[in-house]
Amino acid sequence: MDLPDFLKILPLVVLAGTTVVLMLVIAFWRNYKVTFFITLIGLIVAFITLPFGVSNKSLQITSILVINGSTVFYLGLLIAGCLIAVLLSYEYIEKFEGNREEYYILLLLATLGSSILVASDHFVSFFLGLEILSVSLYGLIAYPHNLRQRIEAAIKYLILAGATSAILLFGMALIYTVLGTMEFSRIAISGAQPGNQNVMVLAGWGLLTVGIGFKLALVPFQYWTPDVYQGAPAPVTGFIASVSKGGMFALMLRYFSRVDIFANSSLLALFAAIAVASMLYGNIVALMQHNVKRILAYSSIAHLGYLLVAFLASGSLGPQAVAFYLVAYFITTLSAFGVITLISTPEHEIEELKDYESLVWRHPILATIFTISLLSLAGIPPSVGLIGKIFIAAAGVQSSLWVLLGSLIVGSVIGVFYYLRIVITMFRPPEEQVESVISLPSIYTTGGVVLSLLTFLIISLGIYPLPIMQIIARMISTLP
Amino acid sequence: MLTIPFQHGLILAGILFSIGAMSLIIRRNIFFILLSIEIMLNAAGLAFVVAGAHWGQPEGQIMFIFILTMAAAEVSVGLAIVIQLYRRYKTLDVDAANEMQG
Repeated sequence: MDLPDFLKILPLVVLAGTTVVLMLVIAFWRNYKVTFFITLIGLIVAFITLPFGVSNKSLQITSILVINGSTVFYLGLLIAGCLIAVLLSYEYIEKFEGNREEYYILLLLATLGSSILVASDHFVSFFLGLEILSVSLYGLIAYPHNLRQRIEAAIKYLILAGATSAILLFGMALIYTVLGTMEFSRIAISGAQPGNQNVMVLAGWGLLTVGIGFKLALVPFQYWTPDVYQGAPAPVTGFIASVSKGGMFALMLRYFSRVDIFANSSLLALFAAIAVASMLYGNIVALMQHNVKRILAYSSIAHLGYLLVAFLASGSLGPQAVAFYLVAYFITTLSAFGVITLISTPEHEIEELKDYESLVWRHPILATIFTISLLSLAGIPPSVGLIGKIFIAAAGVQSSLWVLLGSLIVGSVIGVFYYLRIVITMFRPPEEQVESVISLPSIYTTGGVVLSLLTFLIISLGIYPLPIMQIIARMISTLP
Repeated sequence: MLTIPFQHGLILAGILFSIGAMSLIIRRNIFFILLSIEIMLNAAGLAFVVAGAHWGQPEGQIMFIFILTMAAAEVSVGLAIVIQLYRRYKTLDVDAANEMQG
């Protein structure tokens, strides 16, 4: 590895370096503001160093990492997502009476793990990235460890993530036993040979699918999602929904386009079934929830199902639709959880639907922001969520995935009901003077400014999505 | 020297993995659950070592070292959460920590 190679993975190095700097700073001088600013600077520097990796061909950094246009795009998305999560967390974590500084180390480490997943081209980096992400998430979920539900969520996530990484590893071991290589590209070559398509490889792929499906919370591996979403602190929930899933999805995109999933019809059928089940299950069960975080958890299951439709669309539009939908999903999810973060405190999460009753009369700006992000999740114009869905539908039509498209439409229609239920609850006129536990922050805080920016993005990209589309078309080539 | 066929090693790894998975489902004490996850991880590690030996490559053992390291990190974070679990619930039974429903 020489200097140019080193420059290409500089964002990863900067992220890792910032965590080390943070640890040292905290060891000598514990100061919340300083930690926050170091984190911000680290993330911004990592973002600025991204263009070093841009080139028109796929570049292998040793055999375990690969940097190309789509890697750089997803790295940028993850780092930006983490930056927003950090900004949204500032006031929330400040209210926690305990050690607040380590929160940012964990957040950066989780982003690093997710970024390694995005760049990985080898089972070793896949496993390492996944574990760095998971282990930091255990800590993040239980971070302000003052509530019982945090511990419960962390225990549930710990057990399930530990078990699924063991399952994933066993799958990798089976594939390695038969094919004798752990590089994605060479797995693709030797897996295509007729002698190498036996039960063990199939079992290995099945076990890998379990591991990936767990992280993405696809049906039938979704049982942890509502509990973890509800139990984790609101900014962390937003982080799990966006950065953790985004990294995994980008990895899945690379892995399965390398091994050419479309050549294997049974695997294709399996993924189509998972997509349909996720879209329908997520949307139908969300109808019966009374907790806003749980509603968003089930809606995220459905949204990952929509993303799978674009993933299964084999045409040239597929990868671009995935990229655009991920951008839209990141902005909208972070904005929705940002509102919950702003009105919650570490001692009391505002998550029950009745807590949101007539919020618009108490805090019109936040209620409007929440409404816009919910409408974008539902796909109502003019919002970026709608453009994303149209993009996915176009990709699906191009590959004639009619069953999947039908489920997408049915799912979206059901989805409108529960999103609008939250909106209607917020707009209900106040009946009597109720004791409110909601903290009503000013909009001129870090979180408020970031939320206004995200809302502006939702609307403006919904009306004029061309800039993002151009970036995506340039970065996401047919190269995986 | 008698060499062990790699199928035997894989079968052993499979048996260990199943034992771990079974005890993960049956056990209710958080310590035993962490132990069974450890057994599953090490079964996967054994499979990697066996596969590496079969192909005559060092990758299998490298992967095993990574698995050991990550398992240690996972358990250290896990035990910290277990301490919190005991402090809040006064029990190590994971069924006690099942209050969120819906």
